[in-house]
Amino acid sequence: MSQTVANRVIGRRKVPRWQKVSPFGYFALALISFISVFPFYWMFVVASNTTAEISKSPPSLIPGPRFFIVVEHVLQVVPFGLALWNTLLVGTVVAVAQVFFSALAGFAFAKLHFKGRKFLILFVIGTMMLPSQLGIIPLFMMISQWGLFDTLYALIVPALVTAFGVFWMRQIIDAQIPNELLEAASIDGGSVLRIYWSIVLPVIRQSSFVLGLFSFLGIWNDFLWPGLVLSSPEHFTAQIAVQQLKASYVIDYALNMGGAFMATSPLLILFIFVGRRLVSGVMDGAVKG
Amino acid sequence: MSAQTPTSPWRSKAPKPKKVKGVTGIASLNGKWGYLFTAPFFVMFLIFGLAPIVYSTYIAFFHWDPLGDQTFNGLENFTNLLQDDHFWNALRNTLNIWALSTFPQMAMSIGLAAVLRNKKLKFKTFWRTILLVPNITSVIAVAIVFGQLFGRDFGLINLFLSYLGMPHHIDFIEETIPGHIAIATMITWRWVGYNALIFLASMLAIPEDLYESASLDGASAWQQFIYVTLPQLKNTITFVLIVGTIGGLQVFAEPLTLGGTMDGGSTRQFSTLTLYLYEQAFINNKWGYAAAVGILITFIVLIVSGINFMITRRLASEEQ
Amino acid sequence: MAKMWTAPRVLAVAAVAALSVATVTPAKAADPVTITIWTFGDVIQRNFVQEYKLLHPEITLEIKKSDLDPLNGTNMVTACTAHNGPDIAAVEVSYSGYWRSYPSCFQDLRQMKTSSANANASSVVPASSNIAANLSATSIKKDYLPWRWAQGVGYNDSVIGLPTDVGGLEVAYRTDLFKKAGLPTDRAKVGKLWPTWDKFIAVGKQYLGKLSAKDKKAGKGFIDNSGTIYAAMLNQGTSKYYLNDGTDTGKLIYDKNPAVKKAWDTTVTALQAGIGTRIGQFSSDWNTGMSNGTFATILAPAWMMDYIKAQAPDTKGKWDIADMPGGGGNQGGTQLTIPAAAKHKQEAWDFMAWYLAPAQQLRMFKTYGLFPSTPSLYTDPSLVGFKDPFFNNAPVGKIYASGIVKLKPIFEGKLERAIDTAFGAGLSRVAAKKMTSAKSWAQVMADLKKVVSN
Repeated sequence: MSQTVANRVIGRRKVPRWQKVSPFGYFALALISFISVFPFYWMFVVASNTTAEISKSPPSLIPGPRFFIVVEHVLQVVPFGLALWNTLLVGTVVAVAQVFFSALAGFAFAKLHFKGRKFLILFVIGTMMLPSQLGIIPLFMMISQWGLFDTLYALIVPALVTAFGVFWMRQIIDAQIPNELLEAASIDGGSVLRIYWSIVLPVIRQSSFVLGLFSFLGIWNDFLWPGLVLSSPEHFTAQIAVQQLKASYVIDYALNMGGAFMATSPLLILFIFVGRRLVSGVMDGAVKG
Repeated sequence: MSAQTPTSPWRSKAPKPKKVKGVTGIASLNGKWGYLFTAPFFVMFLIFGLAPIVYSTYIAFFHWDPLGDQTFNGLENFTNLLQDDHFWNALRNTLNIWALSTFPQMAMSIGLAAVLRNKKLKFKTFWRTILLVPNITSVIAVAIVFGQLFGRDFGLINLFLSYLGMPHHIDFIEETIPGHIAIATMITWRWVGYNALIFLASMLAIPEDLYESASLDGASAWQQFIYVTLPQLKNTITFVLIVGTIGGLQVFAEPLTLGGTMDGGSTRQFSTLTLYLYEQAFINNKWGYAAAVGILITFIVLIVSGINFMITRRLASEEQ
Repeated sequence: MAKMWTAPRVLAVAAVAALSVATVTPAKAADPVTITIWTFGDVIQRNFVQEYKLLHPEITLEIKKSDLDPLNGTNMVTACTAHNGPDIAAVEVSYSGYWRSYPSCFQDLRQMKTSSANANASSVVPASSNIAANLSATSIKKDYLPWRWAQGVGYNDSVIGLPTDVGGLEVAYRTDLFKKAGLPTDRAKVGKLWPTWDKFIAVGKQYLGKLSAKDKKAGKGFIDNSGTIYAAMLNQGTSKYYLNDGTDTGKLIYDKNPAVKKAWDTTVTALQAGIGTRIGQFSSDWNTGMSNGTFATILAPAWMMDYIKAQAPDTKGKWDIADMPGGGGNQGGTQLTIPAAAKHKQEAWDFMAWYLAPAQQLRMFKTYGLFPSTPSLYTDPSLVGFKDPFFNNAPVGKIYASGIVKLKPIFEGKLERAIDTAFGAGLSRVAAKKMTSAKSWAQVMADLKKVVSN
């Protein structure tokens, strides 16, 4: 430190802290960004061209004219609109439920003093280590026994709460709401419920939104569990509908990619609006230091 | 990521903050409400999270045919499993894919984060946002694209490689190592931007004066990166590694969708631990055996997490 | 939601149905019914679905296609455990043994009786045949090949499935490519080129010798995929992995049956001779190869003829059909079943009885090449005399019929599919040169020990 001070004292020209980003840095960013979005572009290219155009060497790299023909074809094979609607419905219900239950429990774990709390939160964290597939067979048995097989409830009911959600909310509430604020409110005579409602919830709105988005994306992109418990096309989710397209004798790349594009583009559109918030959500949750 | 609902096997996107501090709660609030607030969660969690796991352990001691008989067979599932070369093959594949995806991904994410944190970077938000795009999309949709890109005869990647002078086309589906590389590529593609953001957040938290003094000492940008940034990232690196390992040990979506079958291909080159569980459960319909596989996976995850934990502890204590 | 989505259509249909029923068969009520069908490939043909709509505007056939293993191996198991399921499920022959061991998952078709729904079918769809009322599975059993019928009989002797087509196997070959290679093109002479599989491989080598260096580099070959020889040979014998010892389960002999080893060894010989391309069947490369003449022969089950026509329309007239080495063969074949939890069993049975009746099977053969499982047609002049211009006017009916009658029934046991998968994987390892034949065989034996244990 003294060295630094000395340098300053001598008045050596201060080195600017941030040098310009080198062209190589921009190139690396541009390359990774290109690679990040290219598969979506390629989906569209394949979906809008004939197989022959794609199979020739080198293949066509620009979109062809057939996209809407393929869309029509996809709609003939599976009720895609319905599948999107199902996914939206399940995803929204699960997202809202997860946020609701996680915020409640997270608040209790972060700010309330009750016996057994420490043990319970450690227990919750401990279960996060367990592989998710461990309970899949008994869960399937429960769903079938309760007559929920081949209903959307089979997707919703088991996903209403997660240990992760509670843990995340606990961290967020702990970090974002100062104890003093709650203490002051409680001395003013606010009940726990009231404090939760009028002080905690408004503060964690942004984080709740991010958690909800993650839950929604999880439901949107899941395919193994829905594939097990759904059987009628009218209950399919978007991913199952995409999988369904593969189930003909011949691999029709245009059809498959058309379906993949149709199942992905709603998310991409959503991302345009919420991408920045997701980015800050990811970064907020990251470890600092 | 370890954060998954026990029910729907998807990778949760949100990162896990690391430390559980000793939060004490607020004395002036009535703590009894805590039971009420956590009750809905615990009731559902017990039914849909824990009960299935407990019941799974029970099933693991049975020969359990979903359509036929269920007979108790003691430890037979476990003893068979330990001699099951398919299981060990699955473990090998899993570790292979994990190594191939984790380390390049880590290096790339840190490198990207180092570029992203530069205050003079133009279009900052744009770059950050676009890097997250792969992470939000479904494995199914992406696997269809990658399957085509990695195609043996007409795939763009083989075409590209042949321009670079590769004498023959590589079969990324049939051959083991290229297959693992293809899967690791898919995983890396999905997570590199996400991890870059995590590293970025952690880099932004590094005190500025550390750099200032270093640069005044005449350290080059590279030296600053090596001697200032990296040591400060130690915790984050460990965190990303742990979370990535727990997730990596459960990988199944990429090999399943790219390979197309639950058995992992003709030499079981894509069979991973989780995929092997699903194959036993839903192709061979041996539920008892599948449950035993699940328990063994759990042990492996716990052991690896334990090792991770010890290493972290040691690193942390060295630091002090 | 499903209701919301289909309600207008169902209403419209019901309205039409009500009108037409009122005029044709006044006694019948026409409640709209949706029959759900789980199937794969082309088991249920779209044209016939449309015909059935004409016959029964009140009935909607909702078809869900899956890949074979997810359908027969996973979905049907989960559905049966959950007491759920479609109205009709297709069971492929390699899974027939498995499902025969779980008859409680299915409706016993002996207890079903056709209604009068299709008693006047030909008055609406002239090409269609009438199906009398009160037919049970027992009463139509005589129409079907006994060994195909047996594949749909449960361990408790209940009838769980009706046979669809027979996948009679012959060799489809490209006359133009044969000519170029100096081989005969006449189907009788071509058939005589390969009385045995060894001769077939020898012809393949001869063909390879005539290929230019450029063609070889482009990956051209004699047969699309040498691995297909295995199943073809095995299905020509009298037993595969199980011995029919009179019990329901049969006896496992996959490790001792010389026919299995012989089929393996011959296939390995073909693989090592390099007569096949590296293309997998039903891939997009395969379709392209079919058009481009990448291979000159395909071991083609009857149902594949339609596939070739659809995928390589430009090759019309260049194909012909010749006898298989070693006589007829068989590949595939399916039973239609009614799961125990089906909601519309009566309507499902009426449809199945109509769809698989001899008259419909004959038309299916003429349109799609699906070879009938009803032997009364094998002498029917319209089948025996049927020639296909796409295949150079080959008398395909006669060729496949003569192959089918040479077939001996093979007992398909419970784990047929799993065993087949293991052998297939073993051959793939040899083909990819990842293991020697002996080592791969040993691996198959080790793998199968696990499959058959508990």
